[in-house]
Amino acid sequence: MAGTVMIVDDSLFMRKMLRDLLEQQGYQVVAEASDGNEAVARFREFRPDLTTLDIVMPNKNGIEALQEIMVFDPAARVVMCSAVGQEPFTVAANEAGAKAFILKPFNPELVAQVLKDVSEA
Amino acid sequence: MDMSQYRNLFLSEAREYLKTINETVVALEESPEDRAGIDTLFRGAHSLKGMAASMEYSDVVEVAHRMEDLMIRVRDASLRFESAIADLLLEGSDVIARMLVDLEADREPRASAGDLPQRLSSYTPAPPAPPRQPGAEQAAPPAAPEPGARPEPGSAPAQVTQPEPAAAPDQAAQAAQAGQTAAPAAPAEGERAKELEVSSVRIKTELLDHLVNLTGELITNKNRLLNIGRDLASDPLNEAVTETAKLLRALHDEVMKVRLMPFDAIADRFQRSVRALAKKSNKDLHFVIEGREIGLDRSILESLSDPINHMLRNAVDHGMEDRDERLTSGKPARGVVTLAVARDRDRVLVTVTDDGRGMVPERMIASAIRKRLITPEEAAQLSPRQALMLSCIPGFSTAREVTDISGRGVGMDAVNASIQKLGGTLAIESEPGKGTRFTLTVPMTIAIIHALVVQCGSIKGAVPVTAVLRTVELRQEQMTVVGKRRVFYLDGEALPLLSLNRALGLPLGRFPDGIVPLFVTEAKGRRVGIVVDRLLGQHELFIKPLGRPLSKLQGVAGGAILGDGEVITLLDVGGLL
Repeated sequence: MAGTVMIVDDSLFMRKMLRDLLEQQGYQVVAEASDGNEAVARFREFRPDLTTLDIVMPNKNGIEALQEIMVFDPAARVVMCSAVGQEPFTVAANEAGAKAFILKPFNPELVAQVLKDVSEA
Repeated sequence: MDMSQYRNLFLSEAREYLKTINETVVALEESPEDRAGIDTLFRGAHSLKGMAASMEYSDVVEVAHRMEDLMIRVRDASLRFESAIADLLLEGSDVIARMLVDLEADREPRASAGDLPQRLSSYTPAPPAPPRQPGAEQAAPPAAPEPGARPEPGSAPAQVTQPEPAAAPDQAAQAAQAGQTAAPAAPAEGERAKELEVSSVRIKTELLDHLVNLTGELITNKNRLLNIGRDLASDPLNEAVTETAKLLRALHDEVMKVRLMPFDAIADRFQRSVRALAKKSNKDLHFVIEGREIGLDRSILESLSDPINHMLRNAVDHGMEDRDERLTSGKPARGVVTLAVARDRDRVLVTVTDDGRGMVPERMIASAIRKRLITPEEAAQLSPRQALMLSCIPGFSTAREVTDISGRGVGMDAVNASIQKLGGTLAIESEPGKGTRFTLTVPMTIAIIHALVVQCGSIKGAVPVTAVLRTVELRQEQMTVVGKRRVFYLDGEALPLLSLNRALGLPLGRFPDGIVPLFVTEAKGRRVGIVVDRLLGQHELFIKPLGRPLSKLQGVAGGAILGDGEVITLLDVGGLL
C-alpha cells in the first residue's frame, strides 16, 4: 500500500502533473499546497505519509517549510523537488532532514522509484 | 508520459507568470531595490523554465533560463535593476508569449528568440556616464560569468552534480530573507496560485454566449407572458410570471457574473504601452492602475482597450509636460498618470487622470472657431465644460503638432464614438496647470440591458439608459432660439434641441398640449436634448446584433423584441445625428 501524499509546488501545472503521476503509482494525494506557509499548515492538518516539497516558492521557501515541518514531526518523510541550478540548497535541505531529491523535469520512473524507496525506508 | 493533456494548463499558467513578470518589471523600475519584486521575477522565470522543461519546450526553456540567471545576478546584488534589464526581461516575456501562441496553434514555431538569450546572459551594466546608451550592452563583451549549462530537456538528470557558478553559497539564507519580505509587497502571486487552485472549470466563451442568448430569449418570453397575463387579468398567471421574472433576474445576474472578467485581464498592456510612450516622449512619470479587480463583460473589456489606450496616449503625449516645464511651474519633476476603474451600480467608470498642463477652454474655443467647427455665436453659448468637449468633434485637435505617438486624424472623437456605440458616455474635466481627467461611463454588460423606449411616428426605438442623462418634459415657453438653433437651459447650460424624428426621416411630431418630451444625451461631445413623440418607459431588453445589411446602417446598434412581439431597434444616437 503506497500511502498518503501531500504535494507542495507554487505551480498548478507541476502539482497536477505530479498528482497524476503519484496517483498512477497508487498513492492517495490528500493535500496540495502552493507556498511554504500553506505547506506547513496542511502538513499539520493532514499528517501525510509522504510530502513532496518544491524549493522556490513565495511566502516561505521550501527549505524553511521543511525546517518547520521537521520540528513538528521529526519523522516526516519529505522529498524535495528542485530544478537544475539549485544545488546549493541540497546541503541545507539535507541538514534540515530531507529524505531525498527529485529533479525537474520529472522522470516518471525515477520519481516513482525515489518515492518508493523513501516510503519503504 | 503523455504530456499533451497538460498543454492547456501549461499555456494558461505560463501566461499568468508572464503577466506577473511584466507587472513586476514595471513596478521594479519604480523601486529597483525592492527585494520582494526581485524575488518574484526570479521565481516567475524559474517556474516558467521548470514547466517548459517538463513539456519539452526547449525554446521557452532557454529564454526563461537566461531570464532566471539574469535575475539571480540582480538578486545576489551584483547588478542594479536598471532600465536596460527591464527592457531585456520584457523582451524575453514577449518572445515567450509569441512562442506560446505558436504552441497553442500547434504549428511550426514562427517566433524565435534570435540573439536574446546571448544578450540576456552577456548583459553588463552601461557605464554610469551621462550620455545614455540604451543599446550599449548589446555590443559589450560578455564580461559577466557565463551561467551554468542549461538543462537538456528530455534527458533525465538524476544526479545533483551540475556546476552552478552564478549561485552564491548563502543563497538559501538570502532566499529565506527575501521570502519573509515577499508577503506584504507581492500578495498577487500567492493569491494567483490560490485562485487557480479553487476547483475551477475551463469553459469555452462560446458556451457562455449561448447561455446569455438563452437567458435573453427567456426574458423576451417573460415579457410576452406578462402581456398575456395582463390581457387575461388572471391573478394566478400574473403571480407565476412575477415569480418567474424574479428568478430570471437572478439567472441573468449569475450568467453575467460568469462572463465578467476582471479589468486586470487587460491592465498589463496599458502598463506596457505607457512605459513605451513615456520612454519615447522622454517623460518621467509614474503610472498607477486602480481597480484591477473590477469585473466587466468580456465584450466590453475588449472594446475598451483602444479607447483607454488613446486616452493614455493623450495624457502622456499631450497632457504631461516635460521635466523642465514641470519644474519651472513648481510641480514635482515626475508626473503622475492614473488609470482607475470603479463600479457604480450597473455601470463601470473608467478614468484617466493626469497632473499635467490641463486644457484651457478659451483656447479650445478659439481653435474650434478658427477651424470653422463652430460659429462665434455658438461659441458664446458654450460653458467651460462644453468647451472641453469640443475635443471630441471630428477634426479637432489641440496638439500644436502631430506627433508620431498620438498619430493624426484619430482623436478623442474616435474614443467618443466607440464609447457611444457601447451605450456609454465620455466626460472631460480639466483645470489649466493642474491636469485633466477623462471619464468613460460604460454599462457592465451589453447583451441584456435596460433601455428607454421612445416612440417617433410609427417607429419605436430604444436608447440604453446608460446613455440617457435624464428625461425632460419641456413646455413650449421654456425653449428659446439662439442663432438658428432652438435651445433650452439645463443647469445653466444651453442645450441644443434636436429632433429624433428628423434624424430618422420621419414627419416632425406635433405637441398639441404644449408639452415636448425629450431625453438628454451626449452627442459629438455635447449634451443635447433629443425630442421624441413619446417616452414609453424603461424596458429590460435582450439586444441581438443585426445581420447585414442592417448592421451597416449608421445609428442602429442592434435589435430587440418587446413583450408584445414587436421588434424595436436599439439606437446609437450619436451615430444618427
